Formats: sequence, structure tokens, C-alpha cells
Amino acid sequence: MIEVSHLSKKYGTRPAIEDLSFTVGDGQIFGLLGPNGAGKSTIMNILTGYLAPTSGEVKVAGFSLPEEAQQAKACVGYLPEQPPLYPEMTVQEYLDFAAELKGVKKKAERKEQVLKAARRTGLEDVLPRLIRSLSKGYRQRVGIAQALLGSPKLIILDEPTVGLDPAQVIGIRKLIQELGRTHTVILSSHILSEVQAVCSQVLILSKGRLVAVGAPDALGDSFDTSSCLRVTVLGDGKAVLRAVGAVPGICKAEIVSESDGQVTFTAESRDSTDHRAAVSRALTKAGCTVLELTAESRSLEDVFLALTERGPAQTTEGEEEDE
Amino acid sequence: MIAIFKREVRSCFHGMIGFVLTAFMLAAAAIYFVALNLGYGLTDFGYYTLCRTIFVLLLYIPVLTMRSFAEERRTRTDQLLLTSPVSVWGIVLGKFFALCVIFALPCIADAVMILVLAALGATGTATLANFAALLCYYLMGCAAIAIGVFLSSLTENQIIAAVAGIAALLVAYMMPSLRNLFTTGSAVALALFTVIAAVLSVAAGLRTRSFTLGCLLFAGCCVALTALFLLQSSWLTEAFSAVLSGLCLFSPFEEFVNSSFSIPTLVYYLTVTVLFLFFTAQGLEKRRWN
Repeated sequence: MIEVSHLSKKYGTRPAIEDLSFTVGDGQIFGLLGPNGAGKSTIMNILTGYLAPTSGEVKVAGFSLPEEAQQAKACVGYLPEQPPLYPEMTVQEYLDFAAELKGVKKKAERKEQVLKAARRTGLEDVLPRLIRSLSKGYRQRVGIAQALLGSPKLIILDEPTVGLDPAQVIGIRKLIQELGRTHTVILSSHILSEVQAVCSQVLILSKGRLVAVGAPDALGDSFDTSSCLRVTVLGDGKAVLRAVGAVPGICKAEIVSESDGQVTFTAESRDSTDHRAAVSRALTKAGCTVLELTAESRSLEDVFLALTERGPAQTTEGEEEDE
Repeated sequence: MIAIFKREVRSCFHGMIGFVLTAFMLAAAAIYFVALNLGYGLTDFGYYTLCRTIFVLLLYIPVLTMRSFAEERRTRTDQLLLTSPVSVWGIVLGKFFALCVIFALPCIADAVMILVLAALGATGTATLANFAALLCYYLMGCAAIAIGVFLSSLTENQIIAAVAGIAALLVAYMMPSLRNLFTTGSAVALALFTVIAAVLSVAAGLRTRSFTLGCLLFAGCCVALTALFLLQSSWLTEAFSAVLSGLCLFSPFEEFVNSSFSIPTLVYYLTVTVLFLFFTAQGLEKRRWN
């Protein structure tokens, strides 16, 4: 659905995106993840034809941007970061206008599409109301409904859940998952749990450069080069640390809490070998009763923080060569 | 384009602005029509009414056009337009035609006034001349709308767009008098054309992102201007005066009304309209690349 190769965008002399390449397949929910100012909105603006790239190639549904912008735009429904709404219009008028703008010429067809989009986004009750009088959550939904009009193959949503209350966030996420069954969806966010919950593929950006791309779970695993155990035992803290420190492979053991003879500590190793059995044996040998022992897997949040703090140049060998 | 056109017309009448502006124009035209045409039994509607309402346009047009692009940029709704499968020209023309339709409302009322004059005994020739004057007046208004739309596309702030529009139209209105201040010295003309050449070169350099091209263009222009100044300085003076005449937006209409039907005047207004719509479309396109 989308092919991006060596995409760069500069605002004046300041680079917003540098040498970015990725592809998005049909029917995926693709997440763009990155801290504020990483270039997520710029990428979306380029994909929707709002901005032209400084260099590189972008193909949306087989059409090159910006040369075949009009054909490409016809395949895309876009919700920008701030929903593009006209407050003086009613929801019905606005959606009708958006449908006509997207090339739905026949009045009956427009009416049908508007009703369908309103139904999907839960806007049926507010259709005759002025957009000015709607709450932020409803405005966001109007923005999403607008993106669904004109039967686009690709839906691009820029931070769709920003500023919504938790119930609305859940509602929008459900809607995105539903849309993912019939459309290709690109979603940007700086909220990790959202991306983890919704997306099948994630692209992590930092300072305009790609730092990682893959399925959320696979990303967690692939960067999981160290492992960490969290253990609760009955015994003396010092004895516990001594026993665990003697286990080959464990490089660091730290007490998290100690009270009433109950000690909780973490043990880290440099490699990804499973040390649970060895730690359990060592503790039993030292006369401690193991109450709980879990291997903590690295969450996407850890991967995200590690990657975005470390910077793009150190992520993969390929990129180092490019440098 | 049709969707944008319809929305623009509707948005003017959603609030008070469309009604107030139309009423304002109608009141101005009606005062002169009643006082001069009807009061003194004068059949020349163009001279006695339309010419006298030109100063109202100085306020009417900027207020009408100030919202067109500035408001879209401020509320970020330009993202909806520019990411929809409509070309930049479609967007610009949709908005421009909508504003022309709104401006046509007071002009239709003017046409009724001309018919009233005809019913009261104006000759067929006088009525035709009045309608021709109204056509020219309308085209002049459309040219001013194109200028206003262009200025609105340069900023996010409606007030700045309106003030810039009023200033631009005021300069155009006063240009016949201002022109006399610039006595025809060829050195002044040379300085002005050098400044214009510098501005064009910078624009060309920025547009093509080539410093060399900008410098070469400027050097070429300087050489040509200096050669003209040394060999045929009268050409420079004439060209200078022609440039200033080109900026007098309203005087061709006054001449049109005073003398007779003139195709070049209509062509002049159409050219100004197309030129500023082109600038607007280029401006929108340029923002996409920056």
C-alpha cells in the first residue's frame, strides 16, 4: 500500500526526516511511534500530499507523490493532529461537504456514506448539531468520520486519542481495530500502550530517523539481549545476595524491599539465558524459601526509551554503514 | 471545486458578514442612485452611482476576502482541502468564484436600478452604456477580489489580511495622484527597476534553490538596465510610467465610464484577476515545498 524510500524533508535548513525507508502492506495497522518532534506528523503530511518531500520516493497505492498526487489522495482518508473542522457547520453539513470534496458526486450516495460513517463513529445523535457546540471527544470522532468518507483504501490518523477521556480512548481504539479489518490504517502516537494494543507493525522514530521497525512483540524480543529476574524469598537479605551473586551469569543483584524476613530483589544477567532454575537451586541451598520467581520481559516501553535515548546511529550495523 | 464553492457561499451567510456587506454596498449605491440619478433625473448610472461607490469597495473587498485562506490556515482546515483529491487551482477557483457570486448580489441590485432608469425613460443606448459600465465595475471588483484572496493566502491572521487588502487597494485608488509625485526622471526609473530586478532575482533564486541562478539573473538585469539608461533613457521613463499606470486599478473603470466601451479595460481586469489567482495558487504550492 505504501512504499517509502530514502525520504528526507527539510524545513528550511533544519532536517525533519532523514533518509527514511519503509513499506506498509495491505490490511495492516501500522504505528508510527516516537517522542514529540520525531517527525511523525511530517511523515503523515507527506503521505497525504499536504507536504512535498525534499528528496526520496513515496508511493501510495501505486501512485507516486507528488507527481500523481490527486490519484493518491483519492485513496487516502486523513485525520490530522487537529481535526480540520468548520465550527459554524452542523455535523451533517460538514460530513456532506467532506464527502463531496472527496469526489462522491451523487447526493444519495453521499447521504448513505455520511450515515454509514456517522454510525461507525457513534455520531448519529449529533448529526444536526453545530460542530462548535460539540465536546472534544465528539469533534475527534467527526474528524475520524470525515477520514472514512469516499471509501479510502488507506486511513491515516495522527494521534487520534489525544485529549480524550479513558472511555473515549477505548472506543476509538476499538474503532481503529475494526477499521483495520477493512482498511490499511496508519496511526501515530507517543503513547506506547496504544500502539502495543492496536498495531500489527510499529516503526519507531527518533529525531527524524528510523530506529526500529517490526511487530510490537518481536521488537521487544529482538532487543531483549539482557534478562532480569524478580524474586521474593524468605530469608536474610545479605545471605540472599551472596547466594545469588555466586550464580554464574548473574551480573547484578539488588534488593527492592525487605520486611518481616521477606526479601524481594532483582537479578540481572548480560545474556538472554534463562537463569531461573540456577537461582532457585542456589537460594534453596542457602536455606531460603522461594515465594515468587518471575522473569521480566522487556516491554515496548523499554525498547522505545532505549532506542530513542540512544539515538539512531547505534541501532543496527546497516545504519552505521550508511553514516 | 464545486464543494468548496458551495461551502464558501454558505459560510458567508451562516453568520452576519454576507448580509452586512451586501447591505453596506446596497446602501451606498442606493444613496447615490436616489440622490443623483432619481433626484436630478440623470441617466448615467456608471458615472453618478458606480464611480462614486468605488471608495466603498476599498472596505468591502478586503473584508469579504480576508477570511478566504487566512481562516483556513488558522483553523488548520486547509489540511482537509489540500489533502483531498482537488487540485490547488480547484481550491483557489472554488473560493474565488464563491466570492464573485457574493459580490454579484449588490451588482444584481445595481442592474435593477438600471432597469428602473430605463422604465423611467432612459434611452436604449444609455441603458446599454449603463449595463456595460456595470459589467466593467463587476470585473474590476473581481480583480480586487483576486488581490484580496492572494493577500489572505499570505497570512494566518484575518486582520492582517484585511489591513493589507485595504492598504493595497488604497494605494491603487490613490495611484493616479501619487503618479504625479514621481516626476519622470530616468534615474528614479533605473533605481526602481533595479529594485524590481533584485526582488525577482531573489524570488527566482529561492524558487529554484540556486544561488548562482539568482546572481546571474540579477547581473543580467543590471547590465540590460544600465545599457538602456545609457543608450535609450526615455524608454526607461516610459516603462516606469507604464508600471505606475498598471497599478491604478480603478482609473481604467473611470475612463471606461467617461468615454465609451473599451475592450482593453475589460482585458486589463481579467489579466489582473488571472495574475493574482496564479500567484495565490503558486503561493499555496510553494508552502507545500518549504
